[in-house]
Amino acid sequence: MNRLLILIFLAFTFFSCKKKENPIPQVDNYLSVTVQPKFGSNNLFLDSIYTSPEGYKVKFTDLKFYITQLKNGSSTLTDATIFDFRENGLLAFRKIGDPTKFSALQGFIGVDGTLNHLDPSAFSNESPLNISNAGTMHWGWNTGYIFFSIEGKVDTIPDGNNSLDHSFSFHIGTDSYLSDFSFSNLSWQNPSANEFILPFKLDLLSFLQNPSQPIDLKTDFLTHSGAGQEALSEIVVQNFKQAFQPN
Amino acid sequence: MKLYIFLFIIATSLVSCKKDKNNFQATPYLLEIPSHFPDMLIPQDNPMTAEGVELGRFLFYEKRLSGDNTMNCATCHVPNGAFSDPNVYSTGIDGIEGTRHSMALVNLGWEDFFFWDGRASSLEKQILEPVPNPIEMHQSWKATAAKLNLDITYRNRFFRAFGEEGIDSIKVAKAIAQFVRTMISGESKFDVMYKYENSLALNTNEQTIFQSISNEEWAGYDLFKSLNGADCFHCHNGPLMRVKKFSNNGLLASAIDDLGRASFTNNANDNYKFKVPTLRNIELSAPYMHDGRFANLDEVIEFYSSGIHMSPTIDPLIEFGSQGGVQLDASEKLLLKKFLLTLTDYNFINNPKFSDPN
Repeated sequence: MNRLLILIFLAFTFFSCKKKENPIPQVDNYLSVTVQPKFGSNNLFLDSIYTSPEGYKVKFTDLKFYITQLKNGSSTLTDATIFDFRENGLLAFRKIGDPTKFSALQGFIGVDGTLNHLDPSAFSNESPLNISNAGTMHWGWNTGYIFFSIEGKVDTIPDGNNSLDHSFSFHIGTDSYLSDFSFSNLSWQNPSANEFILPFKLDLLSFLQNPSQPIDLKTDFLTHSGAGQEALSEIVVQNFKQAFQPN
Repeated sequence: MKLYIFLFIIATSLVSCKKDKNNFQATPYLLEIPSHFPDMLIPQDNPMTAEGVELGRFLFYEKRLSGDNTMNCATCHVPNGAFSDPNVYSTGIDGIEGTRHSMALVNLGWEDFFFWDGRASSLEKQILEPVPNPIEMHQSWKATAAKLNLDITYRNRFFRAFGEEGIDSIKVAKAIAQFVRTMISGESKFDVMYKYENSLALNTNEQTIFQSISNEEWAGYDLFKSLNGADCFHCHNGPLMRVKKFSNNGLLASAIDDLGRASFTNNANDNYKFKVPTLRNIELSAPYMHDGRFANLDEVIEFYSSGIHMSPTIDPLIEFGSQGGVQLDASEKLLLKKFLLTLTDYNFINNPKFSDPN
């Protein structure tokens, strides 16, 4: 009987000394920034045919752009990200963070001067600025990165057939065409626990038909931001900036 | 008591019969990445080892990989042809020709997709294809492994490379992939030009090469990059001299009507698009294009100058396509060719580490 009492006592002592269980570990919040390309009120799909403000049949075949120094004051959301609609769909990036710190955001469309002329092979393997990831979006060290690229085909020839036989490409780069943006009162969506999404849109109809400076794809179909292309490059930059908005 | 003795004997026997633990460790292989190149991402399940690279080199030149012991990888990837095939199409062991030109093997460690249509997503997966392909080496992997297993030298090499006994297709592919990842070309005259224009330090040897670069070569490089010149750099830029994409570059569809990328994706928007190849060692990798239709660089330059054929999926970056091409004059064609020749890396082509070890 004594033995039994001793055992009960020992067991009681053992369990009472048991270390308290750890509190539930903190789970990270994931922040995603998405961009929905649109053509007016419709969601835009690459390779699908739309009608331009001038009535041309038009399709977009490539849509990419960089955003850098995305931050709210001193809180940085990301140094650099690339939106590549064909490769990655709507997602610009997803990372761990605190959504309450980013109710407002400032940043650049393009690659800011502190990053634009660095060795593109020296960025980390994960960086969208590493030349392996930049791919077609890097011109060279002097010129730097293509800030945004919009490419496609358009039927501007009244030849009676519907073949989209005219290409257009807007490649904006070089430091002078870096543009900034600033959005406030942003609301992060919270579709599931610890997942937060901030949706933007890029309306390519708005890009083309900005009332004060429309882009007519019949005549305004090519810029590489080079000499002699300044006028169109400026319009393209401003229209892109206007077309990029919180969704 | 007897029972305890019996159990003790059994336990002792079991322990003494236990197979010796294999402590063999392959030697890590350190890749020599040129300073102006990005890092190479190595698959976690196939780390580079000296033993693996050595085995891969033997296998690359191993004719027992083919059904009649006449073909190896180098049959269609000839070292002197920039590890491409000087023939328009390669011919398999049964005398059957392929339908696409053999791609040059260089800097493949930086690629994400393989074959002209990009159907293989890793080097290892690419390597698995030619051996059983009836129009290439035409031998099952089972038969291949059995042949190699008869050779004690190979059994030992595989053991040293992978730390375990046994030969199979996965190990063969992994070893060859390791070898191919060592095939890095970054010592051409172009590399010196690239480093110089980007203010990277040149070593003594590179400074000597720099002194030998002619004005015509520099002018050709300018033309290569010029949007209003040859406009090549949209698809061929950076130290690797290519971008990762599939493109319809304006070739007229051939009689075979090869749909390229679309034959893999079944997406009409990919019709006639092919992987953009590197231009490194382009001087030596003739004939050119996915179907080897151009015998020399002059024909290629003429094509981009005046032979572009418009089609629904032509790359929008072929900006002068509607006028047939970039319209270079004779002098410009010559300068462009001079630049293209700077991409030849003889240290790579003649590197004894890439030659037949037998």
